[in-house]
Amino acid sequence: MKTKRKGLWHELYANRILFLMLLPVLVYFLINNYAPMIGIYYAFVQFEFNTSMFNMNFVGLKNFEFLWKSGKLIELTVNTIGYNLAFIVLGNVLSISVAVLLSELKGKWFKKITQSVLFLPYFVSFVILSVIVFNLFNYEQGVLNTVLERLGAEPLDVYNKPALWIFFIIFFYLWKNFGYSMVIYLAAITGISEEYYEAARIDGANTFQRAWHITVPMLKSTFVILLLFSLGTIMKGQFDLFYQMVGNNGLLYSTTDILDTYVYRSLKVTFDMGMATAAGVYQSLFGFALIMVVNGIIRKVNKDYALF
Amino acid sequence: MPGKLKKSVGLLLSVVLLLSLITACSSKNNKPAESASSPQASNSPSAETSESPSSEPAGIDTSKKVELQFYMLGNAPKDLAKVEAEINKMALEDLNATVKFNFTTWTDWDQKYKLLLSTGQKVDLIFTAEWTQYQQYAKKKAFLPLDDLLPKAAPVLNQFVPQDMWEAVKIDGKIYTVPATYKEYVTGGFVWREDLRQKYDLPKPVDMATFEAYLEGIKKNEPNLQPVAIGADVAAALSDAHLDIARDIVGPMPYGVFAPYSNPSQMTNYWGSAEHLEDLKLYRSWAEKGYISKNELNVKDTNQDKIVNGTAAALLGDNPTRYNQTLNNMKSLHPDWELGYHPYGLTKGYATPVHPIHNGFAIPAHSDNAERALAFYEKMVTDKRYNHLTQYGFEGVNYEVDNGYYKLIGNADTNGFLRENMQGWAWRNPEFMLFEPSYDGVKAIFDELDKIQKPDIYTGFAEDYTEYQAERAALEQVEKQYLFPLLAGQVADVEKGLATFMDKAKQAGLEKVQQGYTKQWLAYLQESGIQ
Repeated sequence: MKTKRKGLWHELYANRILFLMLLPVLVYFLINNYAPMIGIYYAFVQFEFNTSMFNMNFVGLKNFEFLWKSGKLIELTVNTIGYNLAFIVLGNVLSISVAVLLSELKGKWFKKITQSVLFLPYFVSFVILSVIVFNLFNYEQGVLNTVLERLGAEPLDVYNKPALWIFFIIFFYLWKNFGYSMVIYLAAITGISEEYYEAARIDGANTFQRAWHITVPMLKSTFVILLLFSLGTIMKGQFDLFYQMVGNNGLLYSTTDILDTYVYRSLKVTFDMGMATAAGVYQSLFGFALIMVVNGIIRKVNKDYALF
Repeated sequence: MPGKLKKSVGLLLSVVLLLSLITACSSKNNKPAESASSPQASNSPSAETSESPSSEPAGIDTSKKVELQFYMLGNAPKDLAKVEAEINKMALEDLNATVKFNFTTWTDWDQKYKLLLSTGQKVDLIFTAEWTQYQQYAKKKAFLPLDDLLPKAAPVLNQFVPQDMWEAVKIDGKIYTVPATYKEYVTGGFVWREDLRQKYDLPKPVDMATFEAYLEGIKKNEPNLQPVAIGADVAAALSDAHLDIARDIVGPMPYGVFAPYSNPSQMTNYWGSAEHLEDLKLYRSWAEKGYISKNELNVKDTNQDKIVNGTAAALLGDNPTRYNQTLNNMKSLHPDWELGYHPYGLTKGYATPVHPIHNGFAIPAHSDNAERALAFYEKMVTDKRYNHLTQYGFEGVNYEVDNGYYKLIGNADTNGFLRENMQGWAWRNPEFMLFEPSYDGVKAIFDELDKIQKPDIYTGFAEDYTEYQAERAALEQVEKQYLFPLLAGQVADVEKGLATFMDKAKQAGLEKVQQGYTKQWLAYLQESGIQ
């Protein structure tokens, strides 16, 4: 044990400049990410206004009760994970394929314009999006029903069809967000050496073969990193998206309710620091477990791609 | 060259990832538990201790200069900075204090309000009302009891507010807020397009039957106009209003319990009852006949706006003041349109004047400057200079007094401080108040209601839900998911829908919540000597 300790000090001393450079980051994480974790204790106490956290009554898991009291916890967890998986899988497939397509394009102006057009929705706020969606789909004056009526078809009450909203939510998420990850992939593609393509061309590979056998494999590490990052937040749904699009409409909750919106609604009226923290702790623990499992699997398959 | 390119691309990639990391971290900081760091109130013992304790320091120590943090809901007026500077000049002289007026805006005000009180942020004065859950917060001791402080720090204010009002705002025997003394009615009433009613010779809405007849007439004659606007909050705008006019409920009671005003201790369960089913069927028929939108639950614009811009022809319930506001806004766009109003009270035979809890200011338990805050608030209410400045802005710049009436200079776009632009409902002083001529209509309604007034016995009740808060939160959820669609008339089979809702509600612990609430309500009635 003594030698080990000595080793650590030695290590610190030998690389002191490097460790010094690491210090600001450590301090940043300590202050912003680790110190506030003390607040987790709120999840286990009965919150009171006029006393400090550690003087409050310890109540064990009572604050977590509301999560399963309505019998919705499983449905919520499934919805949250399901949507996020769809976002991650479809989002990556879409952005990789569009990035590959764009990189193969020759016309510079066309390429730039397409790229910008795809990126622009990223700046539209969900509040505005929800208004657009309402104007498209509302029963009395919506664009969809006006068109249907002109065509002599029956109007459709979209806001009363929960199954449709699985599709809408995913669609609008992709519409808004895929341009962003596409730019990252596009950057990664530009980094692939031209020599590979030249060699392939000499060997007689066509465009499709070049993309499939060179570009896609070269994007693998970027893909894995982006994947792991997004997995960490899988329990945190896109609150704005769901909250703005669905709002108060209970008819749609069976397919569109996620943990974030559920917690928000529950605590909008009953505000209790303890319960709010409990919900956050549940989300974080679940996310933590998930990222450990996925990272473990990736490590097994290929150690170089794992995060840690 | 390719190597260099690759390097720069790698750099770009890592910058993008780092950025997304940082944004992810900063968005995490919104979590309530972590935002505990508070802006430091500059209450450093500054050297300039005023030698002569100026004017009337009402028995409090004003030797140290302090800055008070004042919090109000809603949006700040454009000219706030000017008003604040002028107020500070006077406050520095009178109390050796300055004040910072903070506003929450209306976006997520309820979340912000809760955070202000629970994170230990330095707040010295904050707005309270029954709709900001004053009773519950007071019960949980989020505010400072003012009983001992009042005679010492604000003797004038203590005298100014009538004793029965001080009594009315007491929670567990203690005063936690300074109530507004202006007497008004915020009770409901039917609002409709009078010009259309006359044009098609429809009945005047005075109860549910005539209101429905009006809606039917509008639908028949103006098929493109939505007969009544309800909005996404169907529980308040439809159910509560309906229970008020048709069933004389004592107040907007939660959890489906029901107590009539005439006999408040006679509690029944409204949810799941025959009456409930009947009402839900009525709402369903409204949706089917197209009186309300099929997407009422997703509507974003306010009901009043829909009247103003002519997309809806009636409101089920609104209070006299807001009716007047809607009327004025509508007239400014469509001078030839008319808006009718019928207060529920005239049909029900009684009306309850606003409860003192409805508008007030409290001092949070965390405040360091309680005495000075109260002394300052006394100035806001009882000193005409402070009061007029914070209610109407600068005389001659923002407003003028014309024939005893308030007159805005310029218009809403050019003027930086409109009437009651700081949402100064709580520090209204009836002796100083200035009204617009159009307010005479509201006063006439108030005079009528004065004749049939009876006390509000509901608002003084402070519920303590600690015991059943898990069930309450779960129930809230069930209500949104299964009851709201029923209220909006979106469930085809009402009976089955109601059965499902009751089933889920019971699972969530409805009975425990109702029992807890009923017990407290009955205890409250007994304590306050109501039957």
